[in-house]
Amino acid sequence: MSIDFDKKAPATPEAPRKKKRKISIGHYAVNGWLIFWAIFSVIPMLWLILAPSKTDRQVSYKNPLSFASFHGYIRAWKNLQDFNSGVLAHWVINSVTYNLAIVVFASVTASLAGFVISASRIRFKKTFLISTLIMMLVPPVALVIPLFIEMNKVNLIDNPLSVILISSLYPFGAFLSYIYYSNTIPPEIYESARLDGCSDFGLYTKIAFPLSHPLLALLAFFAFVGNWGNYFMPYIMLPSPEHYTLPVGLGALFFSTPAINPGNGATSVPILKPEIALAGILVAVPVMIVFLISQKRLIRGMLAGSIKE
Amino acid sequence: MSHGRRQKPKNLLMILMLSPYLLLLFFFGVLPLIMAIFNVPTKSPSNPNGGWHVIKIVLHDFRLVPAAWHVLGFMALFVPLMIFFVVAMSLMLDTDTAPWKKWVRLAYIVPACISGSVAVLLWYVLLEPTLSPFKGVMHFFGITQASQIWKTSNLTYILVFMAFLSLAGQWILIQFGSLQSISGEILEAARVDGCTQFQLATKIKLPLIRKYVIYMGVLVFAGGLQIFVEPQLLNSSVYHGIAQQWSFDQLSYSLAFDNGNFGEASALSLMLLVPSLIGALLVIFKTDMFEDVNFKSPKKLAKEAKKREAAAA
Repeated sequence: MSIDFDKKAPATPEAPRKKKRKISIGHYAVNGWLIFWAIFSVIPMLWLILAPSKTDRQVSYKNPLSFASFHGYIRAWKNLQDFNSGVLAHWVINSVTYNLAIVVFASVTASLAGFVISASRIRFKKTFLISTLIMMLVPPVALVIPLFIEMNKVNLIDNPLSVILISSLYPFGAFLSYIYYSNTIPPEIYESARLDGCSDFGLYTKIAFPLSHPLLALLAFFAFVGNWGNYFMPYIMLPSPEHYTLPVGLGALFFSTPAINPGNGATSVPILKPEIALAGILVAVPVMIVFLISQKRLIRGMLAGSIKE
Repeated sequence: MSHGRRQKPKNLLMILMLSPYLLLLFFFGVLPLIMAIFNVPTKSPSNPNGGWHVIKIVLHDFRLVPAAWHVLGFMALFVPLMIFFVVAMSLMLDTDTAPWKKWVRLAYIVPACISGSVAVLLWYVLLEPTLSPFKGVMHFFGITQASQIWKTSNLTYILVFMAFLSLAGQWILIQFGSLQSISGEILEAARVDGCTQFQLATKIKLPLIRKYVIYMGVLVFAGGLQIFVEPQLLNSSVYHGIAQQWSFDQLSYSLAFDNGNFGEASALSLMLLVPSLIGALLVIFKTDMFEDVNFKSPKKLAKEAKKREAAAA
């Protein structure tokens, strides 16, 4: 399942010099385009990071990629903190706690499910795998209205449990775990442990779990990345502002302040473009850090089960 | 007999360990669908007597055809653009292993963390001629007023631009990852046979990563069909009324929460689910994307093992 990103191209003993000359223009054009796209990809994030250093007027008139002062960040942060009696703190705490609960619950249930399917001979394995794959490939947004109806029936609307429970269904994680356990632990190990009197729970705690650290890291990574920026589900399930997550709160800042749309009228504390950009940083930067650190994991995981060693 | 007795409690423990996931799968994967199906024929303002007639009412809703045109237009641009661009970029990245390409790959992943509401904020700034980091380029092409960009007729292009920039980078890296799985010997043999980089990319690498491209195509298609956040936020926050019930999901949302008509909303949600399900089943059964997954039941596996043993004997 491992992918070597820096795999050296096989040596071509005689051809290289000739080839280099032949393809040089195309080669430079390709590389130039790759670098251009890399710069283009980074510019929006750069703008986001630099915007809170400026005043609202400077955001419009100064060079978009210039830095003004560190004081700008402090001012924007204070304004955000004072907005609606400090509701931002609630959004940050909500985002952190909901995500923590989702990451733990989703990773544990998915890891156990993957282990059971790979290590046991229970019935309906095929039904389980197909339904998991279907859930994995159907976008979660498709089920939002049906889920709302269900949550409404059990009075969980405007209760964070609704988002935590729904988001803890982690079919991709269960599939990833199944592939991981199938590839790393041969069935003979389970058989001999069983002969030694090991219970099924013991198989997980004594054999599978100690070997699961890379898997659990991967599961936590995908659960975090998939849920931190999620907008639609909490937007529908949690209508009270004190239950918002950061992405939903950022959306609320759009439509309740004049930052983007001056037609919205002034707020008691100035929430303008620098403040909105700072709120955007709070949403985007944690995911960016996790992405940059775990770039290889993302790709390995997304192609789980189909990339061979 | 004793073996059978020992098996039962073992399986019970296994089922207990599986049950948290199974419960989640049932309550949040299967049950909502069942409830939505039962919810469709319930009485609603547009269907006072109840009944499955509501599907006809949804299909005749005056907002459905425009939403269908919007989403189809969006998909017609977005899906081919994504597939072509992502495949081309990953093949270009794979031409050699220059060390600086590590940094380029890192840069490509950056837009992937800009999603949902942050994406709307950033792409709004990017396209606003007074704020954009690219305002020089925009002014060069005569775009100096926001009104030249932000109009309903441009919405399809704006949303394609937003979705494309948010997703392209991470898919480039994923397809680049799939290219790394191609055996070095195959590539070397092709080079020895005189393949140019272009031939190598189009005749050798591309056919070998076909299944990953189909996988991406299905996920991009299913995700695109359910576009909601971007038009909803643009409509409610940036330019009021610019994308009113623009997409299927916005219409479904509006039916449920503006009109309180959950019967119609459920019917539309279920209709939208069908293409996603077909796509998922196509990937599972008609491609070799999950060829390593063992779908066979324990009984079948045991039978096959016996057959193999008999053949070996």
